[in-house]
Amino acid sequence: MIKLEEKKASIKPIKSKLKVEVLNKQEIDGINQGARSVMQDIGIIFPSKKALNIFAEAGAEVDFETEVVKLPADLVEKHLKKAPRAYDLCGRRPELDAKLGQDKGTHYFTSGEAPKIVDFETGERRLSVKADIANMAKVANYLDIVSLIWPTVSASDKGVAAPLHGLEACFNNNEKHIQTESVMDEVSAKYAIEMASVVAGSLEALKERPLHSILLCCIQPLAQDRGGIESAMVYAEAGLPIGFMSMPTLGLTGPPYSAGSLVTAFAEVLSGVVLTQIINPGTPNFVSIIPSLLNPRTGAYFMGSSPAQITSASAVQIAHSNGLPITACMSFGGSQWKLNNWQIGIENSWVHLLTVMSGADMSFGPSGMYEAVSLLDMQRIMFDREIVQAIDIISDGIEVNEQTLALDMIKKIGHHGMYLSQKETAKQTRKLWPPSILFEPPTNSEERYRNPVDVAHETIEWILKNHKPQPLSDDVRKELRKIVDTADEDETLKKEVQGAK
Amino acid sequence: MSQEMFDKLAQAVIDGESEDAEALAKQALEQKLDPLACITNGLTVGIQKTGELFASGEYYLPELIIGADAMKAAMQILEPALLSGQEREVTGTIVIGTVEGDLHEIGKTLVGTMMTANGFRVIDLGTDIPSADFIDAVKESGANLVGASALLTTTMLQQEKLISSLKDAGLREQVKVMVGGAPVTASYAKQIGADGYAEDAISAVDLAMRLIDAPA
Ligand code: B12
Repeated sequence: MIKLEEKKASIKPIKSKLKVEVLNKQEIDGINQGARSVMQDIGIIFPSKKALNIFAEAGAEVDFETEVVKLPADLVEKHLKKAPRAYDLCGRRPELDAKLGQDKGTHYFTSGEAPKIVDFETGERRLSVKADIANMAKVANYLDIVSLIWPTVSASDKGVAAPLHGLEACFNNNEKHIQTESVMDEVSAKYAIEMASVVAGSLEALKERPLHSILLCCIQPLAQDRGGIESAMVYAEAGLPIGFMSMPTLGLTGPPYSAGSLVTAFAEVLSGVVLTQIINPGTPNFVSIIPSLLNPRTGAYFMGSSPAQITSASAVQIAHSNGLPITACMSFGGSQWKLNNWQIGIENSWVHLLTVMSGADMSFGPSGMYEAVSLLDMQRIMFDREIVQAIDIISDGIEVNEQTLALDMIKKIGHHGMYLSQKETAKQTRKLWPPSILFEPPTNSEERYRNPVDVAHETIEWILKNHKPQPLSDDVRKELRKIVDTADEDETLKKEVQGAK
Repeated sequence: MSQEMFDKLAQAVIDGESEDAEALAKQALEQKLDPLACITNGLTVGIQKTGELFASGEYYLPELIIGADAMKAAMQILEPALLSGQEREVTGTIVIGTVEGDLHEIGKTLVGTMMTANGFRVIDLGTDIPSADFIDAVKESGANLVGASALLTTTMLQQEKLISSLKDAGLREQVKVMVGGAPVTASYAKQIGADGYAEDAISAVDLAMRLIDAPA
């Protein structure tokens, strides 16, 4: 059973002794060169005047009519070099900092912004609301396998300022690093940074210890999102960490080959990194590549597939060869399947084993999501936790030393004896049987174990009732409320979000 | 002779050969064949067969899309040659697009493709489409259906705006409005006054048929 006792928030990245390198040097070079020739010869669309001007000034070839920016390879190299390989995505306390590129292993985080949720009480599907974000932020605060969070669902009850309401619910209920993937316009970005500054104490303190960051998607193939890019530029000016994500669907928004999709994906994300480095050299950047397939009969989006995931694992080497941290591999949330289904189990197990073995800095981890990140079922995060724990054990390999070779014990027990009575056995058993939802004694004699879904449900129920994330001061809470209130009434924000055409 | 040409046109669509389809369409006009007959007895037969192959699992999506493209290529030659008063027979006409501020295009495009394969005339406006552009397209095409896709919690509000713009433009009676996308639900569709919601492209076609009382 998961030990249900109140505790302070903590994080546990997973470091793997097992390693996998999918690509050799020549293959890495091939993909990097491909991405560079795409940036130089075909270019990337940046539908933002401001971005186009910045590129033109920096020496890129800019077509203001088509909004295509062509980036010469030397310009790319010059600016990529300024992006740090190692930095911290800070939590509210230093123990909660996700230390990227510092050999700490893979930091898992909740993916987020599902528009729908399975109601925890009734089990019915419905649109998600702000209160759901608060609940899930609390659960994520409690579980140590979660290193940082996104608002896991969206506040459909809050209109165009929903992304800011999501952040408010997270800041109020979670002490770990909080990243947004929905603050996608310049006006909202300013509010979000103001909120994070209030939590940090000041903008300076926030820069010193960034407890907030942004991840935006490039638009496949070979384009950027106006709102997203303009938001990212505001984050760059503030010196906050910025991630660029590409989600090529093989044979749809990317070529039908893994290598080709990595070429377009890296051309997209690196062009974004270059922009933010021009604006503010040294800005902490990371990239994320989430390849997928589409079901060729229904068109359904399918992230958990094997070709997609080996592509994602390969992306880790490409990112690192460019000196950038990466968020890789996504199945938690990507799966199409229902809770407690063997297919989910398989998919998530090998995908996340690959993640830690390939040395990804971050991965979309335990999130409780399915149906391609569009539906949250809070109970499922306990299954995700279970899988990550198993991967943690597997990726640790086995320990071989004098103690574990146990020759003394072997001699002592000799033939036909039992090791059960040994003190060391008693100690080791704790390690061999970590907390789990899978092996609870049954409530009726027909079953061998209790249904883990029920155990997961009770665990979540307990966390929601008993866990108290360290609260922000009343002043800070009030200040956050005020900012979001102002945003709610802000006409320029409405115009931005609802399209400025 | 004309039947031979119809068959060839149909086959070009089934095989997804855009260049052949275009060349055949030109040939047909040179041979003074009736462009409407070429469409009805050639291209439409071809796309229907393609749709059947897809429905039976024989064809995958790429083949369906390539087939629709071949049809479009030939159509571009044949449609301008239609005599005045001649009109190709369509199940219905739909203006479809992803709403303003939203760049998700996969679902919307799939719905459009399935509608094409089922005999609809599809005017696909693309992504990030302001309500005003939907309105213009409805006026221009005389469409009887509008399909609005939204994938973001913040942009689904635009679907409601589109419906009220259609009202303001006096077009609400002319069209049935269908909505879809990840954050949309049947009850949300009802709440904003849409005529229907569909979860995927195949049920979108069924819904469209039902809404305009087309024989299935
Ligand atoms: C692929 C994808 C992208 C791609 C899109 C590529 C492209 N060229 O289209 C990229 C990477 C560009 C992207 C960008 C973003 N995305 Co996105 N994306 C998705 C994802 C994973 C799949 C969408 C998809 O293509 N599905 C496959 C198709 C076939 O299914 P579908 O779209 O649902 O369509 C079917 C039905 O819904 C229905 N249907 C659809 N439209 C219509 C219309 C009518 C009339 C009818 C009847 C039916 C119908 O039929 C379709 C066919 O079966 C979804 C998650 C999801 N499960 O939906 C997130 C998702 C929609 N994205 C999301 C987000 C947040 C974003 C970004 C803001 C991320 C960022 N930080 O930049 C940007 C926004 C960009 C913008 N301004 O629009 C969130 C939305 C959250 C929210 N609650 O608002 C989602 C839910 C994922 C998540 N949880 O994070 N995204």
